[in-house]
Amino acid sequence: MPKVKNWQINRDMDYPYEDSRPDKQIAYIFDTNKCIECQTCTIACKTTWTSGKGQEQIFWNNVETKPYGGYPQAWDVKLLDKLKAQRWKGDSYEGKTVFENVPFGDQVEGHRPEEDDYAHPNLGEDEITGTVEGGQYFTGIHHQWMFYLARICNHCTYPACLAACPRKAIYKRDEDGIVLVDQSRCRGYQECVKACPYKKVFYNAMTRTSEKCIGCYPRVEKGLQPRCVESCIGKIRLQGWLSKPGEARADNPIDQLVHIKKVALPLYPQYGTEPNVYYIPPVHVPRKFLEQMFGPSVETAIENYMAAKDDKEALAAMLMFGNTPQIITKCKHEDSHAVGFNDKGEEVVRVPLTEPFIVRRHYDEKFKSFRLNTA
Amino acid sequence: MAGSNGKQMVSAQAAEPVIGKGVNRRSFLQVACGAGAGAVFSQTSAFAELFGFMQPVHVDSPLKSYPNRGWEKTYRNLYEPDSTFHFLCAPNDTHNCLLTAYVKNGVVVRIGPSFGFGEAKDTDGNQASHRWDPRCCTKGLSLIRRFYGHRRAKEPMIRKGFKEWSDAGHPRDATTGKVPEQYLNRGQDPFEKITWDQAYEYAARAMKNISETYSGTSGQEKLVAQGYDPAMAEATMGAGTQTLKFRGGMAALGATRLFAQYRNANVMALLDSHIRGVGPDKALGGRGFDNYSWHTDLPPGHPMVTGQQTNDWDLCNVEHSNLIIAWGMNWITTKMPDAHWLTEARIKGAKVVVIATDYSATMCKADEGLIVRPGTTPALALGMCHVLLKEDRADMDYLRRFTDMPLLLRDDTLDLLRAGDVFPDYKNKELKNARILKKGEKIHPLQQPGPVIPEGLRESWGDYVVYDEKTKEPQAVSRDDMGATFAITGLAPALEGSYTVKLANGEEVTCQPVFAHMKKLIMESYDPRTVSELTWAPVEGIEAIARLIAENNGKTSIAVGMGPNQFFNNDLKDRAQFLLAAMTGNIGKVGGNIGSYAGNYRAAFFSGLGQYIKEDPFNPQLDPEGEISMKGYWKGESVHYWNHGDTVLRKGKALLTGKTHMPTPTKSIHVSNSNSLIGNAKGHFDTVINTLRKCDFVGVNEWWWTSSCEYADIVFAVDAWSEMKVPDATISVTNPFLYIFPDTPLPRAYNTTSDNEVAAGIARAMGKLVGDDRFDKNWAFLEKDNGKTYLRRVLSNSNVSAGYDLEEIIAKAKKGVPVPMLTRTYPKVGGYEQGTEGKPYYTKTGRLEFYREEPEFKDSGESLPIHREPIDSTFYEPNVIVAEAHPLLNPKSPEDYGAKTSDLSADDRQARHVIKPWRELKNTKHPLMEKDGFRFIFHTPKYRHGAHTTGADVDIMAVWFGPFGDMHRKDKRMPYSGEGYADINPLDAKELGIEDGDYIWMDADPNHSPYHGWKPEDEAYKMARLQCRARYYPGTPRGVVKMWHNMAGSTFGTYKGHITRADGLARNSHTGYQSMYRSGSHQSCTRGYLKPTWMTDSLVRKDLIGQTVGTGFAPDVHCPTGAPRESFIKITKKEDGGMNGEGLWSPAKKGLRPTYENEQMKKFIGGDYVEKG
Repeated sequence: MPKVKNWQINRDMDYPYEDSRPDKQIAYIFDTNKCIECQTCTIACKTTWTSGKGQEQIFWNNVETKPYGGYPQAWDVKLLDKLKAQRWKGDSYEGKTVFENVPFGDQVEGHRPEEDDYAHPNLGEDEITGTVEGGQYFTGIHHQWMFYLARICNHCTYPACLAACPRKAIYKRDEDGIVLVDQSRCRGYQECVKACPYKKVFYNAMTRTSEKCIGCYPRVEKGLQPRCVESCIGKIRLQGWLSKPGEARADNPIDQLVHIKKVALPLYPQYGTEPNVYYIPPVHVPRKFLEQMFGPSVETAIENYMAAKDDKEALAAMLMFGNTPQIITKCKHEDSHAVGFNDKGEEVVRVPLTEPFIVRRHYDEKFKSFRLNTA
Repeated sequence: MAGSNGKQMVSAQAAEPVIGKGVNRRSFLQVACGAGAGAVFSQTSAFAELFGFMQPVHVDSPLKSYPNRGWEKTYRNLYEPDSTFHFLCAPNDTHNCLLTAYVKNGVVVRIGPSFGFGEAKDTDGNQASHRWDPRCCTKGLSLIRRFYGHRRAKEPMIRKGFKEWSDAGHPRDATTGKVPEQYLNRGQDPFEKITWDQAYEYAARAMKNISETYSGTSGQEKLVAQGYDPAMAEATMGAGTQTLKFRGGMAALGATRLFAQYRNANVMALLDSHIRGVGPDKALGGRGFDNYSWHTDLPPGHPMVTGQQTNDWDLCNVEHSNLIIAWGMNWITTKMPDAHWLTEARIKGAKVVVIATDYSATMCKADEGLIVRPGTTPALALGMCHVLLKEDRADMDYLRRFTDMPLLLRDDTLDLLRAGDVFPDYKNKELKNARILKKGEKIHPLQQPGPVIPEGLRESWGDYVVYDEKTKEPQAVSRDDMGATFAITGLAPALEGSYTVKLANGEEVTCQPVFAHMKKLIMESYDPRTVSELTWAPVEGIEAIARLIAENNGKTSIAVGMGPNQFFNNDLKDRAQFLLAAMTGNIGKVGGNIGSYAGNYRAAFFSGLGQYIKEDPFNPQLDPEGEISMKGYWKGESVHYWNHGDTVLRKGKALLTGKTHMPTPTKSIHVSNSNSLIGNAKGHFDTVINTLRKCDFVGVNEWWWTSSCEYADIVFAVDAWSEMKVPDATISVTNPFLYIFPDTPLPRAYNTTSDNEVAAGIARAMGKLVGDDRFDKNWAFLEKDNGKTYLRRVLSNSNVSAGYDLEEIIAKAKKGVPVPMLTRTYPKVGGYEQGTEGKPYYTKTGRLEFYREEPEFKDSGESLPIHREPIDSTFYEPNVIVAEAHPLLNPKSPEDYGAKTSDLSADDRQARHVIKPWRELKNTKHPLMEKDGFRFIFHTPKYRHGAHTTGADVDIMAVWFGPFGDMHRKDKRMPYSGEGYADINPLDAKELGIEDGDYIWMDADPNHSPYHGWKPEDEAYKMARLQCRARYYPGTPRGVVKMWHNMAGSTFGTYKGHITRADGLARNSHTGYQSMYRSGSHQSCTRGYLKPTWMTDSLVRKDLIGQTVGTGFAPDVHCPTGAPRESFIKITKKEDGGMNGEGLWSPAKKGLRPTYENEQMKKFIGGDYVEKG
């Protein structure tokens, strides 16, 4: 089996195909500290792509509460349990990835959820890890905790779904790195459903094909961020392009936060697929749980996140979240503003670090009216 | 378009003709897209079959390249809209979002944010930033399932029994005038379709008949014979039109469309003129129900402290705060589009503190969290004040300058000492910071610079007295001598000490500054240890948060939510919290302020509304540019009396509803846009089973069939926001924008019309009945220019919009762009003029008032802010004043009113003034605890998956509403794709033998719940008793049970549907109305309550609209608010949660639920799957 380089686990690993990074790689940053689990992303996605028959239980995008939530149920717990010992030494992963812990006859370690596991998509909503008895006061890391995890297809650099498809009907687009299930060739074997460690490929019993998040390519092709990003009112999401390892540009907000400031981390990097949705971890959750989920650099990521208030570059990148539907390829800090540019170099958004405060004249001579705050 | 790789393009094209079966790709896609978004793969297996005939494709490495990319067009075609347009989504959630609708084949298939907020520009060219974008949410995006949904109100409908009553000539009982029972089966009679003309005529005939029946002395006698309180019958003043009630629900949400109801209330003076033969001088119109206060959104203590409706600020102002406190406010779930201001302020270094009654959703964004017992906010705030006083951290300078703390209070009368009583021949000072209104003088809203005070009122207040420590003399202060200008007086007022003052008449009285009394109260009654026991807040939490606020003087934003406001002690809560904010200088500053956040309100931003709702109906102005003659013939009224069984508050022999508040009997209701009036009423089932039967007519305007429609006589089907044809305007209290509802290009999907047209239609029909064309003339501009003249008159006469051109702002809205409101500041800062510029408040003293000298407050033992236990939601004796003895606490006892202290029924708890210190109270029990099983405080907050009920009741939203959603409804007991549930502490549930996911019964006080007079065998009882799922919820303290407010309750129709339909849906098969409960609703366990201090005739406060200060009742400003978060319940298991009622609910069985964790879940939660070396 070929060896590919996975920077997230800092080593080479087995993968069924030769290394081939796309020309451009779609990537997202999700700030869990801003996520409010409103599910606006979910409904934006649902009403655009999956409102047909056979898709009732299919949510390409979902937001779940950790630790009790999971759509499908226990998707991650089951795989963590199968992978057994997951050991990190420094930044290097010493355990096995889903491509390396493979049962005989399979391409990828995985599990296929039961239909019933897709029911109750918001199981565990808001539920915390310990029982509140009465009054409480706490500061810092919460003793009982939960947080929201927004989830879409990770458009992995080494997709497990792609690796597992016996018909080679799943492919990764060179122009944007979006991973698609060819609806014309899929025969519904569901190997991808079983293989995807994030359970973001779904079987549609009406079309008898598997389907998944398409990264809103009809929008991305026009320079627009996906629907789930555009409609995110928590402004937790940014979609852009992640440079290849070693080619990071400080003025690319995605690179700035992933490669340079390292505040955004992959979800379960130990699975080995090099997922391309990067999460800013929740600051209030015990680190041990976060390391299980986001890898060994959690503490550094949180420290850097908390330091962003004095870091104009990081702040400018963070202020690119949710201010324009256009894909931003470059941003900078300028006169207490964050400025974003598209891939043509055109300025597409300019926002102040602090929303201006304006005091109007008490009496507006021009329109002959007093201006009052208390009506 | 397929990509940069030319080879791929060729391959894609090569695949094009190979679809087979004579269907080419183009025609297939046309078929597939015909049914709208998402339908592309819904043609059963067509897609797979058709494409299965494709020729084999060779793929080398799909990671590298892929040859077969032609199919990608499918998704592009699915995505591409035919056209787009903008509309305004404005449920009562305070946000208001201009949204983009994407149209395919004439149908709105998708909705998105407009990204136009960053383009909003005011008349000076100031522009908002794109940090406001995107604005939308789940509720808005899921509207596509409402516009065309099964519950859409599609045409006017009439209830059979009502039609028969009308067709029979409105027969009534000869003595009482009662409508015969057989005509009153609301909720059970079928509906019939009628034409619009018929709908208007039936409504007009009913209103006319009702007005005639209850006019004159005989009308009043009939009302008394029906059992109404004589004071209410008297309040009609003999005009039957006064029993007609009109309500534009959340009226701020429609300057002309919802206020059309109030305009019609005014127009009804014409009807009175015909019936009673009186002229314009004596005629009386209808009554207009309140809004903000009815929803318990009004924080009733705000006007008591500041003299105006509510202090709040646009939420984005936390940009300027160092400390943000979300207090009983689940910010991230109820202020969703503004949540990012909170999280971004945190990124930029602000600290976030969350105070809540459980580990709330917002708690996960907290740097510090405090979990407290529900309904104890007044004590908590006073406990923090104690810390500040004890540790010498209170801002005494602020108290001297901005509050009534230094004012001298007479020990003999317990009134504030007046300068006129002290200084011989004292003349009240001339006021520079108030516009004094001479008798008969009028002043246009645009020309009101700030508080406008009628001359007589100002004289009656007089000036006040402080004890000056420099001169060692009492000195007069006027309402101008405060804030910024206080220093000019050169006074150094004492805050403590006792002073003997010689009065002008020679008498000597001892006086103390208000502060001395306040301090004594706080220091003796609310020490942190006591408060900790009472509130459950740990002592260190009370101390730490108090210190934090003091350290961030002027930089703390305290955002108080609906939570603490929905308890009976809500006015005391406001007064105590304001005191804390005053002690720390956090009022009216940019980034340092206190605000109340519940509902959208302040229709007063449309200060020109008088032009529309008070236009003299006898002389309507038909020249669009002509001057309007205004005369208000309608009166405001609180719905809470109707919600209290259509009664007022009497205690023993005392009538405790003030004269200015006095309601009339409610015989006709016409309401727009408001399921809260009936469907979501406190004690909803008592309302529909008992109170509603006293009404003779109920008309409801809706575009989505609500439970209020289920109980209507006529449902007027109106336009959805997407298809509005009459432009309208609204505002928001939490963001700085003025919004236009644009008229849209989308054709009406059904036989609907505008709310404005419904009002006009009824008025015109009335005109025909009485032969008076003035009714028509009052609505002339609706026909002439689509009502734009009415809207223009409102906007050009309002302070926040004068200067905007209507056509221009409509055009902007059509592009998804709002305009900023022209308030004093952008963004809005409540109390800015007072807190930052030091101008006087709207109170008597011009200061923030914490002492209330009015008799209603003294009688209630509430002249100072004290803590009262909740009236029902407490484990202890309810509604007790919790304090040690204090000279200012001398309330009337129940016996003083002619009642008994020993009476503790829910009705008797109202106006029951009993004082106990905590050390005594803690040994008492809620009276229901004597009965078996009553042991839970039950509260019903609002949540993220619905605004009221908006959004929660379409399938794709309901499925996310908590853990029980299931799109397939495999368990047919589920009423819908999601369902109502109660959050119970797992340890409590286990004690009751209740498993996670079981169905349970929740019962409140059987004396009134679910309705007065219920019997177990009643069909109504079966429908009304609350059953729901139990969820093990570790975040709620023991003894506290929570259920979300935002779910549609059961009706006769849904109950029948659930037990008779093959699919088991709790759906009314005739109307389509869908319940989220098998039976009951979150309002099964609540009821209406009245509190004396909510309905005084003496409180000084600014009017609802305009700057004029007055006294007593003002709708949405000073009136009852109810206490909908109060109930004390018992819980019993109904049946197992497992499939079909057997065994454990599946996720619990799998070991995935709290306290049911399997080994893997335990390991997962502990983070034990990963080792770090």
